[in-house]
Amino acid sequence: MSQRVVITGKGIISSLADQADTLHNALCAGQCGLGSIGLFETQHMGGEVPSFDARAYLGDGNLRPLDRIAQLAASAAHLALEDSNWTTEMRAEQDVGIVLGTVFSSVHTIGTFDQLAIRRGPRFVKPLDFANTVINAATGQTAIWHNLRGINSTLSTGASSGLQAIGYASDLIRSGRISMLLAGGAEELCFETLFGFERAKLLGKRVESAVPFDAGRTGLIVGEGAAFVMLEDAEKAQARGASIIGEIRGYGTAFDPHRGQDADKLGMAMGMAIRAALAHSKLNIEDIDCISASACGSPMGDRCEAEAIAAVFGNQTASLPITAIKSALGETLGASGALQSVALVEHMHHGVLPGICGFKALEDGLYLPMAKKENCTIPMQNGLVLSFGLDGNMCALVLSKA
Amino acid sequence: MKRVVITGIGAFTSIGTGCQDFWKALLSGQSGISPVESFDTSKYAVHVGGEIKAFSPASYIKTLEAQKIGRTSQLGIAAAKLALEDAQVDMAALDLTRAAISMGTTSGEPNQIEQFDDYFVADNLQAAGDEMLTLYPCHHIAAYMAAELQFMGRNTMIPAACAAGTYAISHAFDMLRLGQADLALAGGADSFSRITYSGFAQLKAIAPERCQPFDKNRKGMIPAEGAGVLVLEPLERALARNARIYAEIAGCGLSCDAFHMTGGHPEEAGSVKAMENALFESGVQREEISYISAHGTGTPTNDMHETRAVKKVFGNRSGQVPISSIKSMLGHTMGAASAIETAVCALAAYTDRIPPTINLDESDPECDLDYVPNEAREHKVFAAMNNAYAFGGVNASLIVKKFKDAC
Amino acid sequence: MDSEEIRNQIKGFISNAANIDPSQIGDNASYKDDLGLDSLTMLEISVDLESEFDLIVPEEEFANIKTVQDSVDLVHKYLATI
Repeated sequence: MSQRVVITGKGIISSLADQADTLHNALCAGQCGLGSIGLFETQHMGGEVPSFDARAYLGDGNLRPLDRIAQLAASAAHLALEDSNWTTEMRAEQDVGIVLGTVFSSVHTIGTFDQLAIRRGPRFVKPLDFANTVINAATGQTAIWHNLRGINSTLSTGASSGLQAIGYASDLIRSGRISMLLAGGAEELCFETLFGFERAKLLGKRVESAVPFDAGRTGLIVGEGAAFVMLEDAEKAQARGASIIGEIRGYGTAFDPHRGQDADKLGMAMGMAIRAALAHSKLNIEDIDCISASACGSPMGDRCEAEAIAAVFGNQTASLPITAIKSALGETLGASGALQSVALVEHMHHGVLPGICGFKALEDGLYLPMAKKENCTIPMQNGLVLSFGLDGNMCALVLSKA
Repeated sequence: MKRVVITGIGAFTSIGTGCQDFWKALLSGQSGISPVESFDTSKYAVHVGGEIKAFSPASYIKTLEAQKIGRTSQLGIAAAKLALEDAQVDMAALDLTRAAISMGTTSGEPNQIEQFDDYFVADNLQAAGDEMLTLYPCHHIAAYMAAELQFMGRNTMIPAACAAGTYAISHAFDMLRLGQADLALAGGADSFSRITYSGFAQLKAIAPERCQPFDKNRKGMIPAEGAGVLVLEPLERALARNARIYAEIAGCGLSCDAFHMTGGHPEEAGSVKAMENALFESGVQREEISYISAHGTGTPTNDMHETRAVKKVFGNRSGQVPISSIKSMLGHTMGAASAIETAVCALAAYTDRIPPTINLDESDPECDLDYVPNEAREHKVFAAMNNAYAFGGVNASLIVKKFKDAC
Repeated sequence: MDSEEIRNQIKGFISNAANIDPSQIGDNASYKDDLGLDSLTMLEISVDLESEFDLIVPEEEFANIKTVQDSVDLVHKYLATI
């Protein structure tokens, strides 16, 4: 058993693209996947996956048991399995696992199920929907669809869920518990989730004001999507002739027990997570060539993150390329860290880090000189992915180029 | 990798809380099933559940405002505080940046979405509260536990349905043996849910009066609520502070049937694999398993399949391994169940006593193992295994063993 | 409502729940053996049936429903009592 955990494939479903290189190109072209929402009636903007049809990925089988989040997850899983060449036959022989991060999971199905009970009585609730009222439903449905019989786990750690799922999965390999598994996250855009953000007063006024680190930012825009990486034990991946596209060097987490009520404590937790990731990866700050930030347009959150980065990287902050893709994809919650990870693998492969879509000017007093609208062409070996939940859970993960 | 031991147990259930009271109630075969009071069951064909009727959150929650967090979070905090007290952890000496929390749940904070739904159906959403984001998502449970205790280490919620407790304990086990934390609170919590009740009632899976696992006339499971939290530490730290050690976590096996969302594999493939993986990882021989805490929900199908799975793993010996289901007493506490049952396995190894399966009136020829019918028993326990099977086809088996310094 | 209409409704429920084209569902198809439906899907169809036709079917009767025709007969039986 090797201690090295490698990435052998990736799959994404996002508002901008369902292929990693298409997403990379779209981000480099400054495209934005945010706009009006067609899924339900609302005045708010969102990052909806346009015209999503799971049949394009999953074929003509019976999709009724799968709700939207399960279809997003299973579709991204399909792409990742294909990309990593884990065929149907191979999955019949070996137990591939899956770890999925999510915040709201099947809340829309859960709500619909319960609303029917209230309206008409418990006699009329739908059995197939009941199966999806457990928070791990999307993970279970994806495993059934793709015959994934290894460890089946679901993580909820707030907005950092998807990134922490990748970290957790890498530890499962390091501890010898499993040799290959999909790791990532999924989130669906729905009325219930948007209602939550609206009532919490966290939504940006417009798409143009949901830009990370920007002086004009007013809040976030909620998005949806799914993303998985296939993680494998390095030796076993090499032995089966897998194409290795990256490596998970290490990750770190921290928790802010003040849950975002104190900006200093929030920033401190962010810094702790970054340092823990570096320590776990056995790397120094000089080894990090780029950052994919978690910033989403939150006035306080983005500021804390910029300060945390500056505190950890010191003088290096002046020249450390940084991107933030949530102005293009929205805050996709459980999917966000996984989407960032897949995108970063692609950015590092091409040697181009996309600029921040919609960025105009850095907030006054913020020190993050490399936050800009323009792309940055530069060789990148080690990248840092940040996924920070503004209510406490922080996760940072180091990816290396293959 | 480091050895990991259980130094504290905190349960919050319908039959008792803490460790001693809870264990005593279990051994005496007490039932926690009663008429449901938290919502109106007049339109249902069934009316019983395992609700916790006496719970005063403010007694346990001092840093946060108890009434401003969800019930599942309240139960989690209460169980955590009881566990820490039981373990006699010196909180002042704890490096809080290395104090981790890993919890499991099935439904998170269902009362929040239920309230939203009431307003939604009444076309009165404007009157609904603002807490959907800050109370509903299940990560808040572990997060509020950490906020109450000021823990800054890894904070993870693993909502793996009815195997969640074991998954959460397994994650804490890995964190500790990999040196990523100095102490972990690990377990599971779920509060009573109208949604869960409606679903199981629709599946005709709820027993009308008593939960009777393995009984010939068993009629189903009984939804319940509860929380179970263990204090886990690396062995050297436990020894250094002279902690009482209940048992050692020997290993676990996690698998997925990938067959059906609510039904198990017809040949018990996943459940067998979970048990085999647990035995392999733990290094415990199957002859050394002295007790099994069953998933034993009381449904006709689960109990039969579980019996078959145990026979496939233990072969000729299966009749000699006592296997009991505490769900006969508590009902099904969902995400808390496998955490509470792991605690039971630890207590069995610590005290050499095993709890009964109550309400076992008549044997079922298809369920012919020793289910410790109706009366607790003294029994030498070297190693005990807990099994959990969940929606999504998730399977988990965890083995604890009697702590022996010289191992 | 005549048998034809009831049958078409029931085939619609099956189609929704199991993604089977209604034209592929025989009038006397067996849920389990011909259509390969699991118990959860069959329960969903019976809930759709109760909901659409506003019936309450006693639990013990559901155990006897094995084919599409059985469902049609059941609906007839209970519609006649309304």
